[in-house]
Amino acid sequence: MKKNPIRQLEITATDDGYCLRFYAMASPCEVLVASKDNQLALTLGELIADEVWRIEDKYSRYQATSVCTAINNSGGQALAIDQETYLLLNFADTCYQLSDGVFDITSGVLRQVWQFDGSDNIPRGIDVQKSLENIGWHKVVFDEHQIIMPNHMEIDFGGIGKEYAVDRAMIIANEFTQLPLLVNLGGDLAANKPRKNNVPWQVGIEHPGFIERKPMVVSLLKGALATSGDAKRFLFKDNVRYSHILNAKTGWPVVQAPRSITVVAPQCIQAGILATLALMQGPQAEGFLTEQEIKFWAIR
Amino acid sequence: MKTFQIKKNYFNAGLPSQIIKCSLLSAAIFLASGCSSLGVQPWERDLLAKEEMALTSSPIDSALDDHIYFSKEASSGGKGFGGGGCGCN
Amino acid sequence: MQLTHKKAPINIKAALTIATSALLGTLPVIANAADDTMTPAKAQQESSWDFESAFLYYSESDRVSAAEAVISAQKTLENEAVLNLKLTIDSLTGASATGAAAQPNVQTFTRPSGKGSYQTQAGKTPLDDTFKDTRVQLNAQWTQPLAEKYTGSAGVHISKEYDYLSLGVNGNLAYDFNNKNSTFSVGLSYFQDTFEPEGGIPLAFASMPLAYDNDDDEYSIDEGGEDETVNSAGKTAFNATRRTDSDNKTTADIMFGFTQVINRRMITQFNYSYSKVDGYLNDPFKMLSLVNSEGIAQDYLYENRPNSRVKQSVFAQTKYHFEQNVIDISYRYMWDDWAIDSHTIDSRLRIPLSGQSYIEPHIRFYQQSAADFYQPFLAQSNAIPGFASADYRIGEMSAYTLGVKYGMKLSDGNDLSFRLEYYRQDPKNSGYQAPGALAEVELYESVEAIIAQVSYSF
Repeated sequence: MKKNPIRQLEITATDDGYCLRFYAMASPCEVLVASKDNQLALTLGELIADEVWRIEDKYSRYQATSVCTAINNSGGQALAIDQETYLLLNFADTCYQLSDGVFDITSGVLRQVWQFDGSDNIPRGIDVQKSLENIGWHKVVFDEHQIIMPNHMEIDFGGIGKEYAVDRAMIIANEFTQLPLLVNLGGDLAANKPRKNNVPWQVGIEHPGFIERKPMVVSLLKGALATSGDAKRFLFKDNVRYSHILNAKTGWPVVQAPRSITVVAPQCIQAGILATLALMQGPQAEGFLTEQEIKFWAIR
Repeated sequence: MKTFQIKKNYFNAGLPSQIIKCSLLSAAIFLASGCSSLGVQPWERDLLAKEEMALTSSPIDSALDDHIYFSKEASSGGKGFGGGGCGCN
Repeated sequence: MQLTHKKAPINIKAALTIATSALLGTLPVIANAADDTMTPAKAQQESSWDFESAFLYYSESDRVSAAEAVISAQKTLENEAVLNLKLTIDSLTGASATGAAAQPNVQTFTRPSGKGSYQTQAGKTPLDDTFKDTRVQLNAQWTQPLAEKYTGSAGVHISKEYDYLSLGVNGNLAYDFNNKNSTFSVGLSYFQDTFEPEGGIPLAFASMPLAYDNDDDEYSIDEGGEDETVNSAGKTAFNATRRTDSDNKTTADIMFGFTQVINRRMITQFNYSYSKVDGYLNDPFKMLSLVNSEGIAQDYLYENRPNSRVKQSVFAQTKYHFEQNVIDISYRYMWDDWAIDSHTIDSRLRIPLSGQSYIEPHIRFYQQSAADFYQPFLAQSNAIPGFASADYRIGEMSAYTLGVKYGMKLSDGNDLSFRLEYYRQDPKNSGYQAPGALAEVELYESVEAIIAQVSYSF
């Protein structure tokens, strides 16, 4: 995961167009385009893959040269940021406010105490408490031009980066063509219009870890889908399943959350946040989405 | 109005129509009771969602046809209301 | 956890929508309800009006022709309510069968207004060629979800022609269950119609009066002369055959429906309808020939039908999506207390020609038995029955329609379609012996019609 696989684009023909595959953000990615024009499909694929790789390079915490790494290593000093970074931080801020602090992009340091490897390795309360000292978005100061990140704190765009990349890819693609297309970055995806007149895209949603389950197939005319939850990442002790969704305020996993939630929304980043916010409701996850009249599928 | 019945030829109409009525009704009841095992999941509605799979896929065509047949035949409605609406009958 | 009770849930969605558009530099798209992106109709929910328009031309050989134009506008509102408004205008001209029987000699008939007469050639089915009418119809229908799983709909109807006014209301309630795979519905409709035919409403079995004024011009030339007295006496005689100027009819319908999704490719529907019509059910322009034992018409008597009718019908429809094609088959069985029963089979097969166009053949079969008071003529030797009508439309008949429709999606996304159909009615003798001259003429003349239609939705 920390080592970049070769950045290359594969093209294959489909029934009514082309499929372009590449690898980014630790996920297999694909672009489906309903056009018989090989050259056009390839150009489109390159544009999209370049945009996704650009975002990966800029915001991955695993890349030494990324903006994310620079912020995390700023040692409490003000660091100049660009407009795009500001907008992302602003969005993260909204999510923090909306969730009353449960969703927090500084919560990544909890990974040091929580290792979701399927074991019964539950951390001690005191260690969790210690980590919480370095968490808290409210301690971060930022404006349009700079960010001041307190020492020992870290941010992580993992919760929104991939969905953001889907939306950005779609914007780039729509500037280039009006052809129907679907961008799928490891299960977070968006389509600009139906594949053909009133013919929806058929999308298989993989739920990693649910080996016994067949991939769920969803028809999507347009809009976006994002999935939150990952069955492989959990802890199990004394008959309690600890999901990898951590409450940034308590430092402890959300209990009785669905294993996975897939949400439909006009934009992928909205779908992603809604799915994550829903998981954080634990047993009320489904009720939360139903109440908001949001289309979703949950697996418990 | 049967008192004024002055013709002959439909003595055989009663039985088949009874059979049709019964079988259609029982088909409906059977379907109503067995329907919970029928149907599709929301994501399997790709075909049903198409315009041409709507039960009335061309409402205007249907309305125009209803109007023609209402004014030319003794039957009307069935699919929708067959009520009045014009002096054409 | 805190989410639900600290903030109103709806704010989260709205706030996220705004935050997303700020982030992406896009216009805010409301992350709307459940099926937003799942069905084509709802995917395009931005509330603009959708229009459908059609022009239809119907023409019978030697008889009636009609032109009908429809424009329908539909708008989906934010709360998923749907408003549909429809305007229909049609115009009818030409000749319509009067019910009188063909004869071996020329026949003269008084026009329904009493002013003037027309002749029917020997051996021809008498047709009244004065039919000319324009009708304007307005419909408004409001449909909206009432509660989870319940959808309600209500509508009004108004139709006005020169001599006819129809007012109607309807309501419908549908209940979805079994994951929206099954739907029960119940609907009610009520129509109040007023008929005010030119020349008034004739008395049942009154003899056709003589025309009292052949021509307005003639009348003015012979002003003050003998003709005026003749005319005024004629008018009095004509009026003596009239019962009233106008009369009413009400129609009350109730319908129960059940729709079931069978599988990914198949959907079915079953309806039961009960319809009660009360009031003036005659056609004031329809007559019966009163014939002697040689089959020669001695008089023409206005028809008389019962003043109530109860119709019931069962209807079943199924649609099946093959790999490419879609077949639509329906069957209707209707019966009433006039002893009419009918079978209708209608089927269409939609065949896509490319992604953008399709062709759709259509076949319809129809067969009805006669009303118990239907008779093609009255015989002098028999007593006048309580009810009688020679209107072939309530006699025994079979009919079929053959048609084809071609539709295409235009480059701007609008739909254009053309429809051409052939409709043929074959009235049948349901067992009447035609005496003398009537055996030599065609009492059950077939009617052929062409239906042509252009539709455009935008």
